[in-house]
Amino acid sequence: MSTEAPPTNYFSNCTHCGFCLAVCPTYKLTGDENNSPRGRLRLWSEEAAGRLPQDEWTDFYTAECVGCLACETACPATVPYGEIFERIRHEHVASNRFSPKLQLRLAAAAVAHPTLFNLALLPARLLRRAGLGLHRFLFPGSPSVLKSTAAYADELMQRHRPTGPRVAFLTGCLMEAMFREINFATVRVLIENNVQVIIPEGQGCCGAFQEHTGLDGVEALREQNRRAFGTLDVDAIVSNSSGCGYALGKALQPGKQVRDVLGFLGELSPVRRQRGRDDGTRVYVDLPCHLVHGQKAAGIPANVLDATGYRWELAPKAKDCCGSGGVYNIQKPENASAILADKSAFLNEAEGAPVILGTSNHVCMMQWHSAGATGLVSRPYEVRHIIQLLDPGENFSIPSNSPQP
Amino acid sequence: MFWSLLLPDSVNQGGWRWRYRECHDDSVASPVKSPLEHQLKALLPRGRVLTSPAQLAGYGADGLGYKNHLPDAVVIPSDAQELAGFMRGAKALGVPVVMRGAGTSLSGGPVAVQGGVIVHTSALKKIQEINTEGFWCEVECGVTLNVLDATLKPYGVFYPPDPSSGPVCTLGGNVASNAGGAHCFRYGVTSNYVLGVEAVLLDGSVHRFGGPAGGRGPWREDWKRFMIGSEGTLAAFTRFWLRLLPLPEKVWTFRATYPDLKTTEAAIHALVAHSSYPAAIEMLDPRGVAMVESSQMACGLPEGSFMLLVEIDGPEALVNARVQSVAELLRHAGSNDVMFSDEDELRQKLWKARKAAGGLLGQLSPAYVVQDAVIPKRALAEVLQLVYDEADDANIRAVNVFHAGDGNLHPNFLFDSRVPGELEKVELISKRLMQRVIEVGGTLSGEHGIGDDKSAYMPLVFGPDSMRLQLSVPAAFNPAHQMNPLKVFDNRHFIA
Repeated sequence: MSTEAPPTNYFSNCTHCGFCLAVCPTYKLTGDENNSPRGRLRLWSEEAAGRLPQDEWTDFYTAECVGCLACETACPATVPYGEIFERIRHEHVASNRFSPKLQLRLAAAAVAHPTLFNLALLPARLLRRAGLGLHRFLFPGSPSVLKSTAAYADELMQRHRPTGPRVAFLTGCLMEAMFREINFATVRVLIENNVQVIIPEGQGCCGAFQEHTGLDGVEALREQNRRAFGTLDVDAIVSNSSGCGYALGKALQPGKQVRDVLGFLGELSPVRRQRGRDDGTRVYVDLPCHLVHGQKAAGIPANVLDATGYRWELAPKAKDCCGSGGVYNIQKPENASAILADKSAFLNEAEGAPVILGTSNHVCMMQWHSAGATGLVSRPYEVRHIIQLLDPGENFSIPSNSPQP
Repeated sequence: MFWSLLLPDSVNQGGWRWRYRECHDDSVASPVKSPLEHQLKALLPRGRVLTSPAQLAGYGADGLGYKNHLPDAVVIPSDAQELAGFMRGAKALGVPVVMRGAGTSLSGGPVAVQGGVIVHTSALKKIQEINTEGFWCEVECGVTLNVLDATLKPYGVFYPPDPSSGPVCTLGGNVASNAGGAHCFRYGVTSNYVLGVEAVLLDGSVHRFGGPAGGRGPWREDWKRFMIGSEGTLAAFTRFWLRLLPLPEKVWTFRATYPDLKTTEAAIHALVAHSSYPAAIEMLDPRGVAMVESSQMACGLPEGSFMLLVEIDGPEALVNARVQSVAELLRHAGSNDVMFSDEDELRQKLWKARKAAGGLLGQLSPAYVVQDAVIPKRALAEVLQLVYDEADDANIRAVNVFHAGDGNLHPNFLFDSRVPGELEKVELISKRLMQRVIEVGGTLSGEHGIGDDKSAYMPLVFGPDSMRLQLSVPAAFNPAHQMNPLKVFDNRHFIA
């Protein structure tokens, strides 16, 4: 969170055209214009100009925003809504106009200390390994309980000695502490594609958690990551979570770009997985908001999706928010569930056996998993990270025709 | 309140699953209820009633963001029945009633200039029927154009009017302002596609003006035309029956640039007379071209050029046969830079400069006024020059992006409403422009409506007798002018 005063024309390039209304999940949900980007901008700017006193409703509508940034994509006047929203949310939390839930406060404090956070969630990794989900957000998976991604990557680098491009990999906090199997799969896929994987020491949480909650501490985390990533001599910095990648990108810009690992793989023509001819699997691909609206990527490259070997198609409304919004589904569970109900309804009738909902952000995966756990979707389906669908498994070798540096 | 943070709710509610107390609307509602709020809540038991200052702030303006008029209350009826119930009780409220769709209007239409209650139709968004045999659909007034387009497409039909606000604007607003769009040169405007309107008057009575069979019912008179373009001054619309057309098999898009207005005009005249009968003829002036080229949307248009964008569509064989003759026509008029394509991706690229222009205005300037005059094509050069001269004299930036085929000008005047005197300068330029437009035989508005923004110019076009006659129409529907007062006629006050 930058601390300098906002520029005087902070809100003014919003011309009130209304193009953001049609893409805003909370406007679509409530039909209330105050609950839309142009409505919120109006409330904030009127308050800043002294024409509107502080009002509980301003706090309410501010807290309602999912932060999906679909409005930034829709905005013809390129209003930096996300930046403004983050600043206002931080102000609201700092002045007690808004209080993030206790669970989120605790988690925000914990993610700043990765060792502690990893240790605290060790039982959760054990439970997931044992096949005990126990919570609507915990999608099945089999994470390593003790071995870290850094140790695993070292091991595989020694074993396979890839010679291609060098990438620095952001392992993330929740991803590493809870969903480590996705990190392991990411390391395997990168190395199979002859990519050298470096896990920079001293990397911290990307800061997205603090950004989502409006709590203090973003700048310290950004500084920590600038030290860990800023001076590395690598071909790319990659992340397997679009939200974390977007947040890290904000810390490292200008100077260093952060790539989504799937976008990076798209340039390498990744190794293709072979599936049986009678495989009836159908993958429905959902695009995380922070990939398409935050990082402004066009999507997940088609050659990467083809390389999964499965028949795939974009999920309906793939660029619309699923309601996860980082921590929105914890802060505003009813809204999040209503948004998800609309997005996930198609799964009940979707063709394919089995059906996989594929995406590229672990918090979206948690949200999608909850659609089944809470009865919004009544038929069985799996939620997978696209990188998991490219996973060669433990026994792989780098193909001899891999591109050389 | 802090104590509630100390315990996760799951402790109280049992089970491991996290549960969270929701911040319900009621928990932040103001404890003091005004009489108006009380009455409104009684009229809308299921819908929403907004009265807090921070709830009204979002409804102070439409697409003309710099003009702000706060309503006394906003209501969001949950369905058509509730809207009708509200209308039944609205007269007794004794305050103006202003209908609002997505609030993208560029004329100050859906804004409570005289205060009162804004009725936001955002919940009335059902597409009730698509009849592909009769080529019509039935939609509620709050359906947005993009949703209608996407829903119709799999049926191989489309609804032609395409205002630039299509991604968000509602049919209710389109019918109220008789919206047009880039393709109305051939396809015509909203009124050509409305078969019927269902409307509720202030006494709560529900009336149908036309229906799926259009004007071919028991009434020969085109009764529904009263409703189309009435800008919320007569009644609240609830639903429409709209005429559909088969989707064109083939579309070709052309983009040509011209060194001067004379050659551009030659091209426009030739296109209008050509048997290919273009669906759209759009133009961007050199100031618009310069704006696009100095932005991140630059697409290589020559400096100082006029850009024409043309589209032809129809049966594949027929349209394909005409492609070369259109390209030849564009070259013959004086362009050595003609590009055309029938591939979607390339067509989007050709459209890019035209589509980007509207948004770029917002990037350049905190506020803008867009005029909507329609002029005979022969007067184009003269009126454009007037726009340039007036704007340059006043040191105001002006960009012209418009529907050249039907002479519907959109000069955009860019200004900063926080700089004292700028708005007044723009209003003065607008007035002089309108005077000239009328002198050359043009009129005030092609597609945006008169609203609040252009009501002062009405006497330039209509004499006192005509104004009196026109005013008698809203008076017949709501004698006290309670519906959207001060719109279209600047003396149309609501007197409680």
